[in-house]
Amino acid sequence: MKSTLKNMVLVLFSITAVAALLVGLVNNLTKGTIAETEQRNKDLAKLEVLPKFEGEAELQDTTRMIGDFNINVTTVKAGGNLVGYAVEAPSITKNGYGDRIYLMVGFVEQEGKTTISGVKVISQKETPGLGANMLNPGNSLEKSVLGMSPAELKFAVKKDNGSFDALTGSTISSRAYANAVETAYAGYLWAKGELPSENDAVSGATTTTEAAENNNQMEPEAQKGEVSNE
Amino acid sequence: MVETNISKEVIQGFVDGTINVESITLFAVVIGAIFVNNVVLSQFLGICPFLGVSSKVDTSLGMGMAVTFVMALASVVTWTLQNYILVPFGIEYMQTIVFILVIAALVQMVEIVLKKVSPSLYQALGIFLPLITTNCAVLGVAIIAVQKDFDLLTSVVYSVSIAVGFAIALVLFAGIRERLEVEDVPQGMRGVPIALITAGLLAMAFMGFANVVPLP
Amino acid sequence: MSKLQLITKGIIKDNPTFVLILGMCPTLGVTSSAINGMGMGVATMAVLIMSNMVISMIKGIVPDKVRIPVFIVVIASFVTIIEMLMKAYVPALYASLGVFIPLIVVNCVILGRAEAFASKNGIVDSALDGIGIGLGFTLSLTVIGAVREILGAGSIFGYTFAADVMPLLFILAPGGFLVLGYLMVLFNKIAKR
Repeated sequence: MKSTLKNMVLVLFSITAVAALLVGLVNNLTKGTIAETEQRNKDLAKLEVLPKFEGEAELQDTTRMIGDFNINVTTVKAGGNLVGYAVEAPSITKNGYGDRIYLMVGFVEQEGKTTISGVKVISQKETPGLGANMLNPGNSLEKSVLGMSPAELKFAVKKDNGSFDALTGSTISSRAYANAVETAYAGYLWAKGELPSENDAVSGATTTTEAAENNNQMEPEAQKGEVSNE
Repeated sequence: MVETNISKEVIQGFVDGTINVESITLFAVVIGAIFVNNVVLSQFLGICPFLGVSSKVDTSLGMGMAVTFVMALASVVTWTLQNYILVPFGIEYMQTIVFILVIAALVQMVEIVLKKVSPSLYQALGIFLPLITTNCAVLGVAIIAVQKDFDLLTSVVYSVSIAVGFAIALVLFAGIRERLEVEDVPQGMRGVPIALITAGLLAMAFMGFANVVPLP
Repeated sequence: MSKLQLITKGIIKDNPTFVLILGMCPTLGVTSSAINGMGMGVATMAVLIMSNMVISMIKGIVPDKVRIPVFIVVIASFVTIIEMLMKAYVPALYASLGVFIPLIVVNCVILGRAEAFASKNGIVDSALDGIGIGLGFTLSLTVIGAVREILGAGSIFGYTFAADVMPLLFILAPGGFLVLGYLMVLFNKIAKR
């Protein structure tokens, strides 16, 4: 077809209009289903990060909004007994390589001690084959937190003297992951009303390194004694 | 309350509902975009012009300048559209289509304006302009800049730095390829294969920048 | 060219990666493992078939000078629509292919075929061309991904046989360029026979 100004503008405009219309239509059509699917996945993830239990689950949500981010703490009970807490949290102070990383982290309490029972990535936009490996079951980041006591974790990668074993070749994604676990833990403490005040907080994640290194040099027996004393 | 392992920023977030996102200095943005996350050598965007227009230093310099010019303009326009049209009207899903159209229109406009205002600059950059529409780096960077939630200034600085990184990679690469022309390259490796292997070695050299600055 | 040739040409004769040298950005970007390469290939093939058909349909009414923007709009809309449909109706598939979908927009294989084939041929031939080139693209990406995964991670399709001993370099950016370069030499040698 000849390229006169009139038909150029006309064709480009009408094709764009049709395309925009179609995209808008499909968006309206799928919006509800997508939201439903996402919600269902989140609901499933809440139970997946906690240990298996018998009976009907009773879920109770508490949400804290920080800036544009929601931290959602779900208290899960079954038959009146507390199963644990599932916390959905973004990496609030650190971006991943692509975007914020959203995690669902499960916390369970046994004999007064809190441990992390499970972690599931809710959303991430990291590089396939590198940062996106955080989706693989049994990856090094997941291994660094599963069954650990969050109070003893240092929320940084090993390279920054933390306790997270970074994914190979993806330090930035791993830092964000550690930050999301930290946010989730803070959310859990906040929901229980046990969040320490600002004055007790460490500035940056690495300040506790010195104390931790001394700890490592201690004899194993001495270390055990230390724990039982607390 | 006992000593805790949670950082001040996170606790403050829970206390007053605001966050101090780690501030990125413009310097870190510039160095990060030019060297550490070089658009061609580490992000794999704009490979086609990288392989296509890099046989001579002169032409690659022209291409680099044209890309810088368009990317700077595109970043201003796409940032404005994203923050004042797409987000307020809740039509973020139209992002790709809108950005692509804007870039295509922008390239056309730059071509027309340049032809009228500065014929000499048009002579130098003109032939590269149509190629830019199909340069995936321009769209890619516009989308990344929006994803990173930069403000307008940072967004423009970021885009220009990315483009400068593109130009540097292109010119370095063209220099190497000019030398390769006179070398005795094995038959089967001539052309694109040796170019790719050279790019691989160049990418390895750029990996050395990885720990120089904290990344945005 | 017979219909069968249209489909098979993409594998050797008109291989999009090794012969036409199109779509280098996603090729290098996602081939850090075999399964990723395959996923990207399949997603690209789906978009390619449909965009080829639509562009062949509208080729008569598009003025020459605005054809590139029009093609890009068509491709971008398809990608957006496919992404939304997959997200809504096949979330499991989206979870594994989702990250590649936005990258397809900037894949010049699709624009390249629109320009070189679909804008000059009928709907059926264009669809077949999409299948052929898509197959070739999928095959090449899977091979590149497999080689990089074996050399860089000591595993293949997620099955690990030599953990932590292989040079990670092959998964990182430089490895992408190097593996693609050497595979191209190999391909040229084999294809010439």
